[in-house]
Amino acid sequence: MRELYRYRDLIWTLVQRDLKVRYRRSAIGFVWTMLQPLLMLMVLHIVFSNLFRFQVRNYAVYALAGLLFWNFFQQTIVTSMNSLKANATILKKLPVPLAVFPIATVISGVVNLLFAFVPMFAILTATGHKLTWALAFLPISVLVAVIFTLGAGLILSPLAVFFSDVVELVGVVMMLLFYMTPVIYPKDIVEGTEFYWAVRFNPIRSILEVFRDPIYFGKVPPLDHQLLAGTIAVAVLAIGIVSFRQSADRIPFYI
Amino acid sequence: MSDPVIDLQDVSLCYRLAKQRNVSIKEYLIHFVKGALIYEELWALENINLQIQSGEVIGIVGPNGAGKSSLAKVIAGVMKPTRGKRRVQGTISPILELGTGFDYELTGLENIYLNALMLGRRRHEIERELDNIVTFSGLGDFIESPMRNYSSGMIARLGFSIATAWVPSVLILDEVLAVGDVRFVARCQERIDTFREKGTTILLISHAIQMLLDYSTRCLWLEHGHMRGDGEPKAILEEYAVAMAPRLESVPEAAED
Repeated sequence: MRELYRYRDLIWTLVQRDLKVRYRRSAIGFVWTMLQPLLMLMVLHIVFSNLFRFQVRNYAVYALAGLLFWNFFQQTIVTSMNSLKANATILKKLPVPLAVFPIATVISGVVNLLFAFVPMFAILTATGHKLTWALAFLPISVLVAVIFTLGAGLILSPLAVFFSDVVELVGVVMMLLFYMTPVIYPKDIVEGTEFYWAVRFNPIRSILEVFRDPIYFGKVPPLDHQLLAGTIAVAVLAIGIVSFRQSADRIPFYI
Repeated sequence: MSDPVIDLQDVSLCYRLAKQRNVSIKEYLIHFVKGALIYEELWALENINLQIQSGEVIGIVGPNGAGKSSLAKVIAGVMKPTRGKRRVQGTISPILELGTGFDYELTGLENIYLNALMLGRRRHEIERELDNIVTFSGLGDFIESPMRNYSSGMIARLGFSIATAWVPSVLILDEVLAVGDVRFVARCQERIDTFREKGTTILLISHAIQMLLDYSTRCLWLEHGHMRGDGEPKAILEEYAVAMAPRLESVPEAAED
């Protein structure tokens, strides 16, 4: 831990590099981060509001809040999972604390998420969605999502080094989780179906709901939801820290 | 005798080589159930005992695959010994390979920060030394352009300039002075001299016997992960040269049979 603190400047520089490399080559730069969920939203809006006729008030905001969360969650887990492999030459030759790489990817993920909030609030106001004081809770929701994602990255990044098929496996699991989580559909349409348990006991759903409540429903999430999501996130991070520390010494041998 | 800067006690390092490069979970589970090992063990270092005092310049020789680079990695702290104890006091500046930690999409200037941060420096320390690093590298205006436009000599110069911008307790150079032109090598040697005066311990891994003779105060000879010789450079290097010579000749002899 103390070692990581000593390398805090490195972590920040890695984040800057991520963002620079990501945006330097593209003409409209940061606009992409904001545009991508919007384009996805347009497709969803056409498909779901017209084809399936969901009974969701202001579906655009519902889906957009879900998508912002999901994009952050999925992209950050995948890049942090690959972060050790991507920096293989460095960690075989320089005595850098290995955790800086997954940590830096999670921080760049958060920065991207913050950029994506800009168009979301634009849509919120454009559609006349009520903005409430509950939005002040949003930083805590983001923090919960970050803790969870960092934990997952710390668990997965060494596994991706040790086993060659982890990356593919996680890709499939992510797709499965996407359908198990009410990101783009309302939860009540699966209630009562035989697969409802998969949605109900899905820990990602808890974390998503804590994120979406202040944005879409304009309310602070109920205390029991807060506690559940918080506990899940902290537990995943704890497992991540322990497993990462146990495997860190072996990573340079396998990469 | 004072407290050694580098102290290795009974250090062994084992690589587990997967028979295929990376094992999948599926294969792992199958082999786990069968109880069969899917790894081959390779002991790169075995029972190495080494105490190095501050200010020593250690030359390390040995044929390819003798464990020289593994020894450097253990001392640098990149790899943890499988068995035994490693203790190194103070700061280490390892150059185990030129160009490590550079991002070739970034400019030389941006890479000075990135690389020095990876060596454990703080941002304000780098800002203070920035001009010195740029001047010493001799890159001039090239420092502003992306590193993918650099020649290998330029990469080497920048790498060396960054790693030696601060006086470390231990400097490890693994075959890195081979590139770079005569003028730069001369300046590197000057810098190594000043480090030596300041009490830096230097580890030189090289096949250039003459350079080791000129510089080292002590030589190590590694072979098959064992310490075959440790002592006065002239004696060790002569013995090493003699031992290596017949092997070179034995190749054509075998071909004649």
